[in-house]
Amino acid sequence: MADVRLDGVAKAFGSVQVINDLNLAVDDGELLVFVGPSGCGKSTMLRMISGLEDVTRGRIMIGGRDVTHVAPSRRRVAMVFQSYALFPHMSVADNIGFGLKLARTPPAEIRRRVAEVARTLQIDPLLDRKPRQLSGGQRQRVAIGRSIIRNPEVFLFDEPLSNLDAALRIRMRLEIARLHNRLGVTMIYVTHDQTEAMTLADRIAVVNGGSIEQLGSPMELYDRPANLFVARFIGAPSMNVIPGTVTVEGGVPAIACGETRIRLSAGPVPPGTSDATLGVRPEHLSAVNKGEGDFAGRVEIVEDLGAESLVYLQTGLMADSLTMRVTAGSGLSAGDAIGVRLDPARLHLFDSRGLAIR
Amino acid sequence: MADPGGFDHSGGGAAADAAIGPAPRPFDPWPATIFVILLCLAVLFLAPTLGVLLSSIKTTREIAFGELWMFPARIYLGNFAEVIANPAVHRYFVNTFLVTVPATALSITFGVLAGYVFAKLPFKGGNLLFLAIVSGMFFPPQVILIPLFRLFNGLGLIDTLWPIIFIHTAMGIPICTLLMRNFFATVPGALREAAILEGANEWQVLTRIALPLSLPALAVLATLQFTWIWNDFLWPLIFTQSDEKRTIMLGIVNLKGQYSVAWGVQGALSLIASLPTLIVFLFFQRYFIKGMTMGAVKG
Repeated sequence: MADVRLDGVAKAFGSVQVINDLNLAVDDGELLVFVGPSGCGKSTMLRMISGLEDVTRGRIMIGGRDVTHVAPSRRRVAMVFQSYALFPHMSVADNIGFGLKLARTPPAEIRRRVAEVARTLQIDPLLDRKPRQLSGGQRQRVAIGRSIIRNPEVFLFDEPLSNLDAALRIRMRLEIARLHNRLGVTMIYVTHDQTEAMTLADRIAVVNGGSIEQLGSPMELYDRPANLFVARFIGAPSMNVIPGTVTVEGGVPAIACGETRIRLSAGPVPPGTSDATLGVRPEHLSAVNKGEGDFAGRVEIVEDLGAESLVYLQTGLMADSLTMRVTAGSGLSAGDAIGVRLDPARLHLFDSRGLAIR
Repeated sequence: MADPGGFDHSGGGAAADAAIGPAPRPFDPWPATIFVILLCLAVLFLAPTLGVLLSSIKTTREIAFGELWMFPARIYLGNFAEVIANPAVHRYFVNTFLVTVPATALSITFGVLAGYVFAKLPFKGGNLLFLAIVSGMFFPPQVILIPLFRLFNGLGLIDTLWPIIFIHTAMGIPICTLLMRNFFATVPGALREAAILEGANEWQVLTRIALPLSLPALAVLATLQFTWIWNDFLWPLIFTQSDEKRTIMLGIVNLKGQYSVAWGVQGALSLIASLPTLIVFLFFQRYFIKGMTMGAVKG
């Protein structure tokens, strides 16, 4: 078991800077998730930690050991690839035992450990099969089996579930969480799926343009996003963001969004703040009778999801529609004119640079 | 359910069937034309083989009387017996194997190594070097014939098999490199990376991962190289002088009588000489077809 530290790590491909001065500490036994849009550099970060990619600048420490220039196989890390990367000409048993065979482990010992891992992952009946004879979920288990057999200090997962269908993805997500609980080792997980990040992570690092926008626990990021990017990226459906202008009326700050003024009751707004963006999560909007609430809206579309519904509203606040989350059976239907109330304690305000004001 | 159109489906017989049957297709001359062209080509290609086959089972007298293209009244196997009993033929075979096997193995080995580096370990100037190597395929042998003769003459290797092995190895490297590089490029990079993380070095990645996945490409190369080298006439003609060093293709030409050409014996030896390439092809056939079409579609 080991912690991972990145000190001032940077990566450039030619003249293109992909990672900028990255500082990060992953605690021993922690499950950290890198989440971000495609091309943000999250996979490059993982590949640098694994040693598959050289760093242009900076230092990588694993378990207190400087591994910046250490070969990938000597870093005591294991990686699960998005494509599984199983060797197609080898059986499941040979795939899992490949690393041990390279390390010249006695065949009897390899067989024993392969059987043990296979039992743990419930793939013992599949040991003689070739990867092409397995389903996506089974292949993913084999890939995980291959990574755990060598008892690595750090597990790296590069979007391991993105090739699976929705139901299997949820099941495998749970299995990875169980695996983390059971092994208690450090895991670094890359995904572009914020739901995966929220459900798995001890901490999430939201990556954008080669830098970490915010690092924190899932709920910390959800409740107190540091900037508009994080606010929009974390949460599904994403946060409603409404551009406006901050005013002060009778000593109480408010934000004017179109014709509507919304009072900002909690906390002071720094002086000089003018253009700002109001953020409100869909579940912090509620429907009230027409003429009541903070502003009026007209129901455009209702999406019933079973236990809840998503209501898309046309309002005078902005051209785009607002999303409101309501419990199922709210009785709302397209065309309804309603009033909308904001939860004043759960509003987010961002300045003109997109940084959170509170 | 009532027929809204009011059509009568109950009768009409043959007239109705004819009315709803497919419309007759206009005559398309292209398939027939292509068939005739292909048939002519097939006859053209097979005729010499058939001629050799027929001459091999006839006596010299029958051939001399101009009955080459007729099936003989009695199959004569004396030509084959004569060829098989001839110690010179044994020597030709041994010499040809001594050239073909190492030259095939060496050219494929170098092609595999170079192809892997070009496909998986890119380096500055790699593409230029790759193009330079592949351009070696386009040099006609006649251009390098005299310099090579002088070179090997200077080295004292004339009338040995060494120049033929060297030249076939060197001339096989471009095609082997091209084919292997293109094949290795289709092997997913994640497999190499997974193996490296498991502790494999590049040699182990090549031998344990990339090569076992490259059997179709290797089969194509082995078949092509073996056939080309086995059937080569030019280089053994240039570099060997004594009958002890001749290869099988020169041996066929040498098998002639003092005053006449022994067509029957030459035919028999030609057929026997083509057996090893046929065996190699049959051995690799399973992979060969796959290899020839590789890269045509994904997966």
